[in-house]
Amino acid sequence: MVVRDLANIQGFSQQCISDEPFEISDAYTGDLLSDVMGNAPSDSVLITIQAHKNTVAVASLAQIRALVICNNRSIPPDMLQAAKEEEIAIFTTEDTQFEASCKIASALGRFDAGQN
Amino acid sequence: MQVKIDLHNHSCLSPCGSDDLTPALLAVEAMEQGIQILALTDHNCGRNLPTFAEACELCSILPLFGMEITTVEEVHVLTLFKDLGNAMEFAAFVEFLLPKRKNNPKLFGNQLVVNLEGELIEQVDKLLISSSNLSFSDVVEEALSRDALVIPAHIDRFANSVLANLGFLPDLPYSALEAIHVPVDADTRGLAVLTGSDAHSLDQVGRRSCYLEMPSITYESLKTSLKPEFVSYRHA
Repeated sequence: MVVRDLANIQGFSQQCISDEPFEISDAYTGDLLSDVMGNAPSDSVLITIQAHKNTVAVASLAQIRALVICNNRSIPPDMLQAAKEEEIAIFTTEDTQFEASCKIASALGRFDAGQN
Repeated sequence: MQVKIDLHNHSCLSPCGSDDLTPALLAVEAMEQGIQILALTDHNCGRNLPTFAEACELCSILPLFGMEITTVEEVHVLTLFKDLGNAMEFAAFVEFLLPKRKNNPKLFGNQLVVNLEGELIEQVDKLLISSSNLSFSDVVEEALSRDALVIPAHIDRFANSVLANLGFLPDLPYSALEAIHVPVDADTRGLAVLTGSDAHSLDQVGRRSCYLEMPSITYESLKTSLKPEFVSYRHA
């Protein structure tokens, strides 16, 4: 799937998106940015509640292409600005990280996600 | 006497700190605002503290040599030393514990070590806003054992705070707490709640200074005056 496909997931609201059709091949769920920085795969979408500018910097470093900000947290303007500059898409949702992760696993066809 | 204090400030060494916020300009701006006790608390690094010491001496400000440490839980904790040498030793230890990840100045900002004139001495390679891998309780215990003041930073912030990240305030012997807004909507365990500017640019210096009633402007006097009844947020 590509980043734009995330906009079709029910309950996801697009806040910004790059014109580039970046491929999304994996996902990572986490709120501890030091862990995200070390372990998130590239070309992925990050499911988190960390709605601040540092998340964009970490995403850029890890080549994460999109952020899904859960629990209805709002996006501060400096975060949105940074995401536009780094061409990282942001979606917001009322879903918890678990619910958002399940929806993304389904969209990625990762029905084996729990089976190693 | 009522003393104006500000115990949370960054310099151009912190990647998120503005490049023109040199230790000297921080001290001069604080002096102009009547701040009498000032701390420099860069993220996980103390390399601008020697310049800060010189600047505070010139400005007749009592310096506290600090750091804002990122614990393994990504909680920010202020550690403040009276003695520059002790602060540098602890700072070297914390910096050593950071992961060997290089800073990307374009993403995070520059990490500049400067002299009193603001001239570049070196740029720090390691990303200073990583996590030190020390636990919250280890930071508190380790810093207290080195006779530092230990103050959990901006406990009412939505990220990087003890209340946001741990969900509660562990029962540990903190010197005080720091909040952005007072009063804090949480049990502060009878501790003094200070406000600090957390300045990342020159215009933010002094934005949240507070006042402490204390007998004299010394470190010892500060330490014994960190009690709720002595803190105020406006000039008397």
